[in-house]
Amino acid sequence: MSQLRIIRIHNELLGTYGDQGNAEVLAFRAKHLGIDSIIIDISYDQAIPRDGSIYLLGGAENAAQLLSLEAMKRDNALKDAIADGAVLLAVCAGFQIIGNTFWAGDKKVDGLGLLDIETDAGTDQRCVGDVVAHSSIFNLDLIGFENHAGRTVLGSSTKPFATVTSGFGNGDGKTDGAVQGNVIGTYMHGPVLARTPALADLLIARASTH
Amino acid sequence: MRLQLSLFLSRLAGFLSQKILRRSGETIQGKVLLTLYPNALTTLSKNRSIVLVSGTNGKTSTTRALAQLISQLGTTVTNKTGSNLDRGSATMLMQPSQYAVLEVDELYLPRLIAQTHPRAVLLLNLSRDQLHRMHEVQKVADRWKRAVDSAPDTLFIGDSDDPFVAYALSDAQKKIRVSFGGRRHSDGAVCPSCGIYLRWSGNNFACVCGLTNAHADENRAPGPAAYRNAELANIAGSAVGAKSMTFDIKSFERAVEKNISGIPSSIRLVKNPASWSEALATVKGNNIILILNAREVDGIDTSWLWDVSFDALRGKKIIVCGERAHDIHYRLHVAGIENTQAKSVSAAFAHFAATDNVEVLAAYTAFTQLVSL
Repeated sequence: MSQLRIIRIHNELLGTYGDQGNAEVLAFRAKHLGIDSIIIDISYDQAIPRDGSIYLLGGAENAAQLLSLEAMKRDNALKDAIADGAVLLAVCAGFQIIGNTFWAGDKKVDGLGLLDIETDAGTDQRCVGDVVAHSSIFNLDLIGFENHAGRTVLGSSTKPFATVTSGFGNGDGKTDGAVQGNVIGTYMHGPVLARTPALADLLIARASTH
Repeated sequence: MRLQLSLFLSRLAGFLSQKILRRSGETIQGKVLLTLYPNALTTLSKNRSIVLVSGTNGKTSTTRALAQLISQLGTTVTNKTGSNLDRGSATMLMQPSQYAVLEVDELYLPRLIAQTHPRAVLLLNLSRDQLHRMHEVQKVADRWKRAVDSAPDTLFIGDSDDPFVAYALSDAQKKIRVSFGGRRHSDGAVCPSCGIYLRWSGNNFACVCGLTNAHADENRAPGPAAYRNAELANIAGSAVGAKSMTFDIKSFERAVEKNISGIPSSIRLVKNPASWSEALATVKGNNIILILNAREVDGIDTSWLWDVSFDALRGKKIIVCGERAHDIHYRLHVAGIENTQAKSVSAAFAHFAATDNVEVLAAYTAFTQLVSL
């Protein structure tokens, strides 16, 4: 295939939790697989390119999450790229903002609608700790670290990303994340691809077919 | 009367802890005291000048320097061991003195401000640390600001190049904002005051809402964290009436020179992206040991390793160890920085000879263990 274009979106905003490492692991695994790749950082002021292979969103605090969403709403680039077959991996705050709705502080906000999910404001009990899970979609055992307040409920168009063995995941302690076509959301930091590099290989394979 | 009895029982608990459990007995005294006499901090602070020091990095060394400055003025108690929650402070205040200089955990600072009515508070910096406990930097900054706003008689001294400190100080009645010519903050993309994208021009920020590091009350030349903390200690000391001192900047780096298994080592405490970056910038030699643990006081997650650039270590002989050695091994491996994983700390030192000088960067629990060997 031609070059794998890894688009890291708004790392200065969505970089509170080491998730920028997902891009580095993808590039590292691509090299191992003999695939040429490039990491392209897109900051808040820049337009998101439509020709990416894999797009990445990371975790963030409330205000940063809203700024990133506002910037992504400037055009349909991400939506178009996904329609065109690109892969999106969104973690934690990034996962929440690509859903239908989520709460930031005491405000209900419309997300990008790329995943059929809704996230509530959560309770006082924050979901913090190690996560052990299994993804039957990817046939992978996964580990990660979660730290979030919101609880996510999946709509009928999505499937859970993984079944949780230990941890809170989407909040019910049963499932973590959501998958809808090539859009994958999860609460797992670590970064998730560093903890389970095999998932990076599978994402590269998906992106390579488009 | 009740206070005297509580003090007696707390000292007894400390004594028993020392004699029977062979512990320092410091934390237990304060814990017992606060249980028996919840208002102890307020009562014991009366007729005493209290100065508090808080921030993500540099608390212990800056507190030590400030205590040294203030002890010129009169009898001074201070928490030397870094026991910085409310208990540790209570233990220190059990001893009579004219002054108290206390290191305070970031989350406990509002409570200490409300209860001890400090004469001055020094705010060093705020960045990502132990997110499993702190959750979000903004939330800690919000708590600081509320505490500052509710203490109009206290003088607040802070490094206003840090947007979170600048925000906490923005409405303080009495304040000294210190600028070291500005510096980028790795968590500084959003204005802590109004939530919009924070505009930086080089090392300086200015938001349309008015938050900026310009117009500081004191200006100093730029320099590393150790130097900045020494300056801040002197500015805070002077504000309380102490004469300035010249400090050995090295003493602020919390580095300990020591022979471990016969190998001359320089051991440095590292605990979050900011302190790792500071420490990596000072690495000089070619022999490196990195020790990563993830216990409660270290922060139980290691994701932040990916927010630190380890490029300064490229090409050196690097041995990684500790309970989470694999995490740091893979992080460096992906960055193309070759390193060897050792099974234990002693196995890591076995990679070096007595003629080598080894620089050790160690997580909190590993650091305290090595230093107390």
